[in-house]
Amino acid sequence: MAIDGLIILDTTGRPIIQSGFRSTSPAYPLLHVDAFNNAMPKSHRPGDIDPVIYVPPYNVADSPSACCHVECGDMRILCPMSGDVDPLFGFAFLQTFIDILHEYFGALSAATLKDNFDVVYQLLEETLDSGGHPLTTSPNTLRDIVLPPSLLSKLLSVAGANINSTINSGSGLGSAGGPFSSPIPWRKAGLRYNSNEVYFDMVEELKAIVNKHGTTLTSSVWGKIETNAKLSGTPDCLLTFTNPHVITDCAFHPCVRLQRWKRDSSLSFVPPDGHFTLAEYRFTPSASATSARFMSAGASVAPSAKENVPIPFILKPAVELTESGGTFEFKLTSRMAFEALVVEMYLGEGAGGVKCVATRGDGNGNIGRRGDVVTSGSASGSWTFDARKMVVRWEIPVVPLSSTWTLRGSFTSSGSKSHPAHALQVRFAASSYTFSSLKVDQLKVTGEVYKPYKGVRGRAIGSVEWRW
Amino acid sequence: MSAVYLNTLSENASRLGMRIQESLAEHSRELTIKTSSSLYLEPDDKGKNIRKQLDSSSDREKLDAMKRLVALISKGRNVSEYFAQVVKNVASQNLEIRKLVYIYLLRYAEQEPDLALLSINTFQKDLTDSSPLIRAMALRVLSGIKVPMIGSIVVLAIKKCAADMSPYVRKSAALAIPKCYELDASHLPALIGIISTLLRDRSPLSIGSVAVAFEAVCPTRLDMLHQQYRRLCRILVDVDEWGQIDLLNLLLRYARTMLPRPVQEEIDSDVKFLLTSAEPLFQSRNPAVVLAVTRVFYYAGPPSYHSRMVQPLIRLLHTSKEIERVVVAYVLAVSRSAPNLFSPFYPQFLLRTDDLRQVKQDKIKVLLVLANFDTHQAILREFIDCADDPDDEVVSDAIRAIGKCAHSIPDCTQQCLTALITMIKNHRDAVVSSAVMVLKYLVQSQLSASSSSSFAAVAATPQQSPLTIISHLARRIDDIRHAQARACVLWLVGQYSASNEPSSGPQGVVEWAPDVLRKSAKGFASEPPMVKLQIITLATKLLVLCPSDRTLCLISGYVFSLAKYDLNYDVRDRARMLLGLLSGLGLSEAVGAKDPDQDSRGGVILRREQVRLVLFEGKIGVVDAEEELDLNVALGSLGMITHKPMHGDSSLPDWLERGVESSLRDTEDDAPPPPPPMTFSSSAPLPQRSKGLASPVVLTPSGGSPTGASKPQWTDLDKFYEDEDDEEEEDSESEEEDEQVAEVEAEESAEGSEDDEDSDSSDEHNSSHPGHR
Repeated sequence: MAIDGLIILDTTGRPIIQSGFRSTSPAYPLLHVDAFNNAMPKSHRPGDIDPVIYVPPYNVADSPSACCHVECGDMRILCPMSGDVDPLFGFAFLQTFIDILHEYFGALSAATLKDNFDVVYQLLEETLDSGGHPLTTSPNTLRDIVLPPSLLSKLLSVAGANINSTINSGSGLGSAGGPFSSPIPWRKAGLRYNSNEVYFDMVEELKAIVNKHGTTLTSSVWGKIETNAKLSGTPDCLLTFTNPHVITDCAFHPCVRLQRWKRDSSLSFVPPDGHFTLAEYRFTPSASATSARFMSAGASVAPSAKENVPIPFILKPAVELTESGGTFEFKLTSRMAFEALVVEMYLGEGAGGVKCVATRGDGNGNIGRRGDVVTSGSASGSWTFDARKMVVRWEIPVVPLSSTWTLRGSFTSSGSKSHPAHALQVRFAASSYTFSSLKVDQLKVTGEVYKPYKGVRGRAIGSVEWRW
Repeated sequence: MSAVYLNTLSENASRLGMRIQESLAEHSRELTIKTSSSLYLEPDDKGKNIRKQLDSSSDREKLDAMKRLVALISKGRNVSEYFAQVVKNVASQNLEIRKLVYIYLLRYAEQEPDLALLSINTFQKDLTDSSPLIRAMALRVLSGIKVPMIGSIVVLAIKKCAADMSPYVRKSAALAIPKCYELDASHLPALIGIISTLLRDRSPLSIGSVAVAFEAVCPTRLDMLHQQYRRLCRILVDVDEWGQIDLLNLLLRYARTMLPRPVQEEIDSDVKFLLTSAEPLFQSRNPAVVLAVTRVFYYAGPPSYHSRMVQPLIRLLHTSKEIERVVVAYVLAVSRSAPNLFSPFYPQFLLRTDDLRQVKQDKIKVLLVLANFDTHQAILREFIDCADDPDDEVVSDAIRAIGKCAHSIPDCTQQCLTALITMIKNHRDAVVSSAVMVLKYLVQSQLSASSSSSFAAVAATPQQSPLTIISHLARRIDDIRHAQARACVLWLVGQYSASNEPSSGPQGVVEWAPDVLRKSAKGFASEPPMVKLQIITLATKLLVLCPSDRTLCLISGYVFSLAKYDLNYDVRDRARMLLGLLSGLGLSEAVGAKDPDQDSRGGVILRREQVRLVLFEGKIGVVDAEEELDLNVALGSLGMITHKPMHGDSSLPDWLERGVESSLRDTEDDAPPPPPPMTFSSSAPLPQRSKGLASPVVLTPSGGSPTGASKPQWTDLDKFYEDEDDEEEEDSESEEEDEQVAEVEAEESAEGSEDDEDSDSSDEHNSSHPGHR
């Protein structure tokens, strides 16, 4: 399995950074950039573009190839591949590479990468062999090889003394750190912290589809345990849960000992340093109801497909469509407290003239005016119309428990070819809440003498499609 | 150890001090600090001073020049002209400069082979550097220089690195092998030798790259794996994620080539061992690894194992949009061969409006495959909902799926027809046209198989029999505006208008048919050619059925005279042909289209029954328009996603009926291990003992994974950090091992046992802590 290379495009579709290519034809990367730039304007809705684009061969002697691509900030990263390769391999590598870039530069944009292009080139060189095989992708190891940009290193480089050369090029063998000295591939050796801390964030996402009668067709909760470890030395952690049976279909960071999880559903691991995702899981509501005590992912007892998580709000959409537009009224009643509730509806091509009133309960709201992006409202919720994506968006920053909100409005549409989506997309977030109420029992750290400071936090997000 | 450490530290410190002093003296006049590298990407860099900078003695100048060069590369400029100057810096003390030089060399070495030779001495020296990073980098660049002349030097370098202490360097050695082979295939025997050494490597870190080299250099030499097969299975969990993918594919190919075919549920112990070893990897965070395991289960596992890949694939669906796109296509391929696997999970494939178009279309296909007696109600409702999608292509796919549903599940035919007939009243072109096409397909297939059971069920309800559907369509002809749909309805009306029942209209024709002709004749001139063709066909058919009716003759005459002078030559030709057919009926006068020189032309004149046969039976057979071409590509290949043949798509070899002798795979490693550690349950699978015996491997999901119970290896990290229980085992280890690392291990585990008791419970940390933002 190998990819052909990597190309980073800026907003205008011009390449800013590209890796070396194993193909001999110099036109090969250009073909892929062109294929992507041609496919982009043809998309039916902005962003609705097939992530795997077929690229026909340049001439008869060549073989066809495919261009896998993902969006990353305001950029696109293309990953051309050819031959007998699994596209998932390309996407997995792209995701890994984007994670590494995040680790190095924080928020990603074309400007950030242009500012640090030499570091990006070094990263590319270390993560991707010229044959297209991933090399070192663990952020902990990479940090030893490619120095993250910091003011200190810039100062030193101005002073002519590169910190790399002092760390690496000397005879610093083994014990003094340096690359590849750690016996554990994912963990840096010889870490020292003044205060040892470890935090676990459990982030759960509800994904659901509700039909026009308000019946839940499907709903599932997917969780992640995001971890930030700042621990000295080589700590060996053991994380146990009071109710591990509520989760199933798990995926783990390579540091987790799989057979230990299989045996007693506890996570035993030597963590990497810094941020990482320890585990991913699916919440099984039926397991908590029935007394299925122990269900490991490997056991693969097909659970009943009808285990639905209740949707924490009720939406009553009423839409009427006419030849030249339509009117709509959405009524939302919450069953729990949310933050940042966003309701979106796609109005179809050629929609415009959106006028809405957003109110809380029976109160009065403001009326917006026509325009490309019209905004109205304050504490009663606000609405905007995105003329590029043809989406009317209704936002409510804080939604208390069992409160009612209404959005009333109308729109016009030109052309008979416009068809609004028969569904609303609802997204929300709720802090200090988890759907699964998965509870950490305790965290034991062995192998080191200190007692780390520990923190656990839950967060819920949701993405619900409500049809009308 | 600490003395060495101190030494290095002081050495580095003094070096830093010197460097700072030097450069401060040198650059004291320049006080501005460049805050970002983007300046290098300014468009007006013409590369004027680069040469001078590269030749300068200051590291800073060189670094600046190299950055400018890399910036030029990324702008797509050819900067090979600086090759000579760059090569000189390959031995720079500054690691950052050196790395940039390597980046440059790897891109241009091919174009300047002679100059690249200048750098080879440096690389050879670097191969003995104390830092594994430098050694690995040197080998990478050395093998990247595509100069056939240095082939033997590269082979030597690879051989040296393959025996390196650091697994990272061994990994680079493995990756260098395919490049060396590409450069000069004559080194094959030497390279195969190195591969077989590397295959015996005890470290799981490099083994993935060895698999890459194996596949590239000697893919047919699977016999080299006999002795390693079981060990490779055992270390699978400890290999890095990218290596796992290559290793799994290699082991799968080995199994299909060397092991006996699983017959029903009787599978060879070695196949079973591969499945057991691979199963924990379903829990990998890397989607490509999960798919590689799926491939192993799908292509090597008996049907009873297939259910285990369902949940992991469904988990992948929720990872990201891009991955969902690919995985849905794979699920479609799997479920076509085994629809029952996924059918309980059909709600996972319901469409979301914000899905990508490709995903929606594939999901519709998946749902169609999953529709069975239990699920068809819900799936049909989903298709009907999809007919409201904003995307026309998705709409027509969904409606077509309704038709196929009706065809394959007789129970829901009634429901499908009702839904389709409702859709005809829709205002949307795409909906109406697809619905009409599907109705046509259904009506045709039902009438042609009217004796079959699927039709009997429908015929029982008279108001929805195929003929009623046609009459329904015929009455709505004015509402059907889409050209193709209109043409289709007209054809249906003509085709099925024969009737023996007495009616108020013309004899021999169903009651509603002539009126359709009347309505369409009115607007004949403004219809598109496709519809015109069908109007004249309808007129001809009605005439043949009922030649005596005066009104019909007049309308047909009108239609034919318009058609004769139509702008479109297809319409003119068709009219002439049909008139020729009709000449035998003696109607030419009535139709008003008598050909003046008909008599002189002669030829065969058909009787009415013959004409009827030509018109009505000429086109028979229901054709389902789109049948997807099956490329017969394997799961997990590009061709399955693009639906186009991709060069290099390889299919897996078929099983051997008997397999090769199992004793070939026996090694000393498989000798009974020391008593398993106390921590593992007694049901933990034991590794293979000896040939031919009934396998002691127990496939219980609750048991320990195979690595757990296997013979301890120094690189097994799980083992490495196992509690002190393992210490006695470590003592009993008698194999030759890399001394250095064994030493490290002993140190570490001693350290670990000291602190073992220091386990504190923390029941209260569940509440949110103030310090935790």
